[in-house]
Amino acid sequence: MKIPVEWLKEYVNIKKSSAEIGKAFTSIGLMLDKPIYEYKGQGYSTEVLDLEHRMDRSDWLSVLGCARDLAAFENVPLKYPDTYIGELRESDESQKVPIIVECPDLVNRFNTVIFKNIRVGESPEWLKYRLEAYGIASINNIVDITNYVMVETGQPMHAQDLAKFQKREILIRRARKDEKITTLLGEVIELNDEYFVLTQDGKPIVLGGIVGGISTAVDNKTTEIVLDAGNYNQINIRKSSRRCKIQNETVLRYDKYLNPKLTELALMRAIKLILENAGGEVYKNMDWYPSPTADKNMVLRYDRVSRLSGMQIEPEKVKRILKSLEYKILEENNTEIKLQVPHFRTDVAVEDDLVADVLRINDYANIPVSFIKNSPPKEITPEIYNFEEELREICVRAGMHEHISDPLVQPNPEDKTQVILENAISAEKSGLRTEGYSGLENVSDTYVKHKIKDIKLFEIGKIYSKIGTQTKLENFTETRILEVYNKNIDLSLKENSGNTVRLLSTVMRDLGIVNYRIDYLDGKSVILVDEDTLGEIRHTDFNLLTEMLLKHRGQPHRIISEYRVVKTEDISVIVPKAYKSGPLVHRLKSVDNNIIDIHCLIEELESLIGPESKNLLLKFSYLGGSFSQTKEKIIEILGTEGLTVRR
Amino acid sequence: MQGEINDIRKVFDSDLRAAKLSGDFDTLYLKYFSKTQGIISLLLKKIPELTIEDRKIFGPEINELQNDLKRVIESARAEYEETVTSDPSIDLTVIEPPYNTGMMHPITQTILEMNKFFRYYGFSIAEGPEIESDEYNFRKLNLPEGHPATDLQDTLFVREPNILLRTHTSSIEARVLTEYEPPLRVVVPGKVYRNETANASNLGFFHQYQGFVVDKNITIQHLKGTLEAFHKFLFGDDIVLRFRYKYYPEVSPGMGVDMQCRFCAGMGCVVCRQKGWIEVLGSGMIHYNTLKMCGIDPEEYTGFAFGMGLDRLAMSKFEINDIRKLYSGEMIYV
Repeated sequence: MKIPVEWLKEYVNIKKSSAEIGKAFTSIGLMLDKPIYEYKGQGYSTEVLDLEHRMDRSDWLSVLGCARDLAAFENVPLKYPDTYIGELRESDESQKVPIIVECPDLVNRFNTVIFKNIRVGESPEWLKYRLEAYGIASINNIVDITNYVMVETGQPMHAQDLAKFQKREILIRRARKDEKITTLLGEVIELNDEYFVLTQDGKPIVLGGIVGGISTAVDNKTTEIVLDAGNYNQINIRKSSRRCKIQNETVLRYDKYLNPKLTELALMRAIKLILENAGGEVYKNMDWYPSPTADKNMVLRYDRVSRLSGMQIEPEKVKRILKSLEYKILEENNTEIKLQVPHFRTDVAVEDDLVADVLRINDYANIPVSFIKNSPPKEITPEIYNFEEELREICVRAGMHEHISDPLVQPNPEDKTQVILENAISAEKSGLRTEGYSGLENVSDTYVKHKIKDIKLFEIGKIYSKIGTQTKLENFTETRILEVYNKNIDLSLKENSGNTVRLLSTVMRDLGIVNYRIDYLDGKSVILVDEDTLGEIRHTDFNLLTEMLLKHRGQPHRIISEYRVVKTEDISVIVPKAYKSGPLVHRLKSVDNNIIDIHCLIEELESLIGPESKNLLLKFSYLGGSFSQTKEKIIEILGTEGLTVRR
Repeated sequence: MQGEINDIRKVFDSDLRAAKLSGDFDTLYLKYFSKTQGIISLLLKKIPELTIEDRKIFGPEINELQNDLKRVIESARAEYEETVTSDPSIDLTVIEPPYNTGMMHPITQTILEMNKFFRYYGFSIAEGPEIESDEYNFRKLNLPEGHPATDLQDTLFVREPNILLRTHTSSIEARVLTEYEPPLRVVVPGKVYRNETANASNLGFFHQYQGFVVDKNITIQHLKGTLEAFHKFLFGDDIVLRFRYKYYPEVSPGMGVDMQCRFCAGMGCVVCRQKGWIEVLGSGMIHYNTLKMCGIDPEEYTGFAFGMGLDRLAMSKFEINDIRKLYSGEMIYV
């Protein structure tokens, strides 16, 4: 919200500099968002404050609304703008413009007056400059006054040239599918029944609450106008304006909650300005307002103020603040006050909002600082969270770098389990990832570009899937995984594969998972513990389900505090070239508890054993004692597998 | 026995020669002195089996053997080390490239640092789904359908209007408040999603850090105290914070927190866009309706909540100028 300071000071008489005013606004909820700048017109200049507007306060989209809170904060009176106080003339029935509303769910109020014999021309300079300082270009005195009153009070208004009406009537209804409207800016909008329109002789003349049409626009020849201040269904305007992509000053206000009562102040103010600046006479017309909004009354307990603030603010001060914000005190006693909430405060919903008003006008800087004295409550951190923190450390210790990749990816049309977004800005980012590899592979290119050859990366994150349709939350699954990428660009695929397996071993050892195995199933190398699948390993990557790792984690025995004798024994076995040795090694490990490790070296000894076979050199590490009995058992197992021990 | 002792000495001499070449004195030592298998250890175990006369003779001799061998091993080791370390071709003044060690992502490092503070003050850490219902993402947080404040967060929908990617970590606050009984002290680090066009400072997803406390007698003063201590922990004792009213739908009263720009000491510069202050987080007292909708009696319990973006914090700490680099693979570790 832009506030020309010269305009603001019409309502709040303070001597402070613009910087000081900006500071005060910041304290009460209207943060000074950009540096203060100066607007200069001919013989007119003002500094302009650009304040951050939060979405709840529709009254802060008006200079008067901002002035009110500033006056309360500075404890000075608020001076309201002058409004028309005379009587409105009665017009003949034939001169009236009846208002017919066919969509009462979308219109709350449509308050109108008629002007005759006005002179449309240039606006007076003060009005032109104030509007321009705010950021609205001057058009003519009538349009400028409707804009001025909108910025001043927060209520959008609209004037139409009655001479351009075929029939003296405004009918408000939902638009029809094949209707179009040309806006004041010349844009053609195709309509449907989700919009509502003001119509004239069956044709749309205004896109309700969003933008006026060109057909009834006020111009220099206009002498008779109908001026309206409406109040509409806020949700409809939000949706409709986004649908037709129109964001203007009117929409900015109408898509917030405005109170229909605001139309009264706006009309009376506009009448005064029009009569002063365009002459003519003003006549009553219809105020379509079938269900007037009731006043909202609320109770504020003084102990609720202290309950939330920890402070004792004197009742007199509380009342002073609330009154300055235009709350009306209806009843009071020593413990509480009953208040009528001012109609423009559509944001106030609960008692704590009243507390908020008291505290902010009292200035948050005055709230003391203290520490929680209650004893800490029960720890509820999920085990998986702590585990993943540890897993991350293990990966880093193993020399891997952590990356976080974008979970939003290009969808794969073949994958019916992929979660697809309905409204992503770009198609490239409209799916959720189903695997972790691509993200890390993408990063690896950057390492290569930087001439880093040995690339070890990991990510701990989620992958996403669905079963069936996207209609129920329970159809979606988020799976936590560890994805590891390992590649040294100087090494062969075979050497890299070996290193990937080794990296897996490192992670598993540090997790104390010693009984895992890798089975070759359906063309995939699957990592298992007992019957549980933990993940899959490929030449340059592996993934593991972190929930499964947590389930099977053990105590890593890496610290030896006394001498113990670890002996080694080698056994060579000839196997077919495509033989997958993981399951065999896993089986052999369980032969004797004293076997602490089996390191499997694969050798291709073509000249000795031929091209169809390879040699597995199994290096057993075992604790103390004799190995001969164990060895016999091993040879027996190898026999059952149909494998030959090489002497 | 005498023969055995002589044999040991002979074998030892040959073993010692080998060790002097290899430098492996540990294996040599273990061969003779390992508690269970060491040659001398086994010999010592035989002493009680000897006759009294033999014991008188061989006891001291075995002891002497033991001392001799230990002394010889130690002096040979010292001599070896002396030779090795005095090798003039060794040059320790040359700086070699470092070993490759892993690093955690800047976001993780930031989260871990923050967790350290909050764990110390008794906070638990919570997590939850990223594919979320509108109930937990909006409704329980006091954001009815069509509320203007939903504009603060452009939502990515999986199924409009009720299944979406969470737009803030507050959805986990709603889940924890619904699931657990107070008292509660919880922080929630996590990914959140917005329907935004990617540029240097925005991306479709980013990270937030949420915290909340619900207990008896919690006031806005405790919120101020916690946030002040937290920022001092992160940035040092000399920081200056500014607390001001700010509206957020899920809290009332709401509170914005700014830190005085450390580059210009509040005078205004490029970093703080001439404001003198940098907005660090949003916070406030948990909304009456939120507590109620989560099944907590707001007359008995009060609470505060705060939330901040992690990405900008990590970016400024690690001097990364573009949020996309954090996640697109353009940022690597060397």
